[in-house]
Amino acid sequence: MTTPMAVEIEGLTKSFGRAQALRGLDLQVPTGQVTGFLGPNGSGKTTTIRILLGLLKADGGRASMLGGDPWSDAVRLHQHIAYVPGDVTLWPNLTGGEAIDILCRLSGPLDPHRKQLMLERFELDPTKKARAYSKGNRQKVALVAALASDADLLLLDEPTSGLDPIMEAAFTESIREVKAQGRSVLLSSHIFAEVEKLADRVAIIREGVTVETGTMAQLRHLTRTQVAVVLDQGAADLATLPGVHDFETSGGQTTFAVDEAELPGVLAALAARRPRSLVANPPSLEELFLRHYGNELAGLAAGSEK
Amino acid sequence: MTTAGQAPTAVPRGTRGEPSSTRQRTPVDGYRGLGAMVRLVLRRNRVRLVVWVVALAGMYQYIVSYYRTVFPNQQSLDDFAALSNTPGIKALTGLSPAASTMGGAVWTKGWMTVALALAIGAVFLVTRSGRADEETGRTELLRSRAMGVHAYSMASWLVTGALCVGVGVLLAVVSIGGSLDPAGTGVAGSLILGASVAGIGLVGVGVGAVAGQVSSTSRGANSLGSTVIIVLYVLRMIGDMGNGALSWLSPIGWGQQMQPYGGNRWWPLLLLLALSTVLLVAAAQLEARRDFGAGLLPQRPGRAGAPVRYATPLGLALRLQRNPIIGWTVAIVLGGALMGSVVQAMTDLLADAGPGAENLLRGTGVAALLALLVSMMALITIIFALQTTLSLRSDEASGIIEPQLAGAVSRWRWTLERLAIPVVWSAVLLTLGGFLIGEVYGASLHDSSQGGRLALAGLAYWPAVMVFVGLAVLLWGYLPRLAIPITWGVMAAMWFITIFGEVFRLPQWFLDLLPLSATPYAPLEPLTWTPLGIMTLVAVALTWLGIDRFARRDIQPA
Repeated sequence: MTTPMAVEIEGLTKSFGRAQALRGLDLQVPTGQVTGFLGPNGSGKTTTIRILLGLLKADGGRASMLGGDPWSDAVRLHQHIAYVPGDVTLWPNLTGGEAIDILCRLSGPLDPHRKQLMLERFELDPTKKARAYSKGNRQKVALVAALASDADLLLLDEPTSGLDPIMEAAFTESIREVKAQGRSVLLSSHIFAEVEKLADRVAIIREGVTVETGTMAQLRHLTRTQVAVVLDQGAADLATLPGVHDFETSGGQTTFAVDEAELPGVLAALAARRPRSLVANPPSLEELFLRHYGNELAGLAAGSEK
Repeated sequence: MTTAGQAPTAVPRGTRGEPSSTRQRTPVDGYRGLGAMVRLVLRRNRVRLVVWVVALAGMYQYIVSYYRTVFPNQQSLDDFAALSNTPGIKALTGLSPAASTMGGAVWTKGWMTVALALAIGAVFLVTRSGRADEETGRTELLRSRAMGVHAYSMASWLVTGALCVGVGVLLAVVSIGGSLDPAGTGVAGSLILGASVAGIGLVGVGVGAVAGQVSSTSRGANSLGSTVIIVLYVLRMIGDMGNGALSWLSPIGWGQQMQPYGGNRWWPLLLLLALSTVLLVAAAQLEARRDFGAGLLPQRPGRAGAPVRYATPLGLALRLQRNPIIGWTVAIVLGGALMGSVVQAMTDLLADAGPGAENLLRGTGVAALLALLVSMMALITIIFALQTTLSLRSDEASGIIEPQLAGAVSRWRWTLERLAIPVVWSAVLLTLGGFLIGEVYGASLHDSSQGGRLALAGLAYWPAVMVFVGLAVLLWGYLPRLAIPITWGVMAAMWFITIFGEVFRLPQWFLDLLPLSATPYAPLEPLTWTPLGIMTLVAVALTWLGIDRFARRDIQPA
């Protein structure tokens, strides 16, 4: 049942009473790729994932997952997916190992070898009662259960919340393996570095609408490269070149941003001035993200100046 | 690394192996902040404390006024005393030395319940401010301030102890107000009554305090503490059924031996106070020596994997609800055997009782009594059935349903498998309860046909119980957030109307429509199949509608 898109969502809407959680969301998760899913709290990420899980019924729009309908084909589809919530609830009087077995077997047969492998990788003691686990360890239980399966699609909702950096590295490694096996991942996260490392494509949403989507390369094209140079002579005339923004000079060092399209011309002009050093950074995901929430940032700044 | 001779700055207390530091905390420092903590405990529990006092004293007051009308003359009190002297009642409540007085009758009905409830309530209250707060980390915040290690626990012991004394005082007041003391004995019996209950409550405080030190979880502390109280109760039960020697091993037995309205002894109170003191001192010692958050009982490791059967909704539910299933089955077995054992004695009593009793029984004779007892089994089974049915909503509310539905399980399958427990096990409980009433009663008559006959009478309530299950499923489907309170509310109303309906003179057609009343009142009435068939159909329809709705709606966490 290989389809080019593991998840395809168009114009999805969902309201809870008067509150509109999704107002026409679009999202695509190509098969065999990791798709990052970014948005601030309350922007509709979890609602989208719950609709994909068939826990919520969409009010409008179209959603398909692994070629099926998330609501009506839920049971058939769930044999091929694995899910990690951001806040894991477990049965307090069962052990972590028991919970893993139960979750795995609800979707398909359990592979004890892979379970053992993941338990070791995430350094999880499966004999402890869930009641005694910390937040991070509960998260590991859900991760081990998801990664021990051979699901075609992994739905991960802030999967690393509460994990330490070493465990985050173990998670990164596991997701790369999943990708290498041609499986698909929808990774909702707040951690830009994680998404940047893992994601082939990114969708940024805000207030229930997708505001930006594409491959990392495509998204970078939409924005500006940060340049820092040290010049012997004055640099003020650089500011007048087309495509140069946020021009600043202090102590011999000059920094500015350049539109992707104007980069060749600006670099040529720079080269003519014989710079002593030059650093150019592609825009980070964080900058992309912050640009889309500029309004909120402006609001915050206005608030602090009062 | 610490070199020899240099005292480590932080000494782990209570660890095994090398001897830890001999430095002790100054005892007085341990109680610093006690006043503030007492205020905190009072503030957090003010509603709870008032409810406990009012509920326990109010119940006793209710029994007093009720028995004044039920036992209008000495003849009826004598009959009741004879009933109290049967093994079943003696085991349950103990035998009052003044059983044939009004005070003794009220004591038989209420004393054990009040004393046990107070002791177990004390365990829960002590855990609430003790181990529970330690587990959640609230105590850590308090202890990070200039507060003594014992201040918070001691505050909760003091407040709970005051609750026990308060209940005792109010019981004495109720007893004096109700003139329960036999003529010419003053109020000594009333004071003894209050003191005996307060003393047992104080032992409960001690048990709770030690349990909170021994167990490292609040759940563990509560179950350990209540188990100890129940073991002490059973010990006394065995003692009271034999020669009484074993009863002296139980503080509950000491309370009985204070013999209110009879011997009026004060000295067993000293035993109760001494035991309570010893337990509290032991708890304080343990608290001074152990690490914060640690207990004496280790957390036992469990299985590293789950059997295949847990990966089905039914298999998992059977594992998770194992304890309630066993608990309710034991309750039905004990209840059935107990009821069966008192049928003979109660028949004699009822012959002498006032006309109110016949109204309650809806008839005369042993068949009416048996029918009433069988319907009691149905009332108990309904609680079990609704508790297991409403766990569907609890799982949805807590969010634990999500990982299960994210697996390859349809909502219909999940619900139907979960409902298998109330559906099947209610039938088992009803049959078992009826059977035991009949079997134990039959044994006293050498009539072995009673067991089967009453088992069938019990099973006849299954469709009625299923109507309640169906109603709960329907509510859960359509009004998930209100399902739990409405269902219990409806059940409480049904209980009340079924037991007292005729007393309120509600119209007969209305009563006949209620599931429990619509069930043939066997063995007083013959078993007829029409109402049972109709109720089964209604139950199926309600359940189907409820699941159908659940399968179409959003999952709604709390």
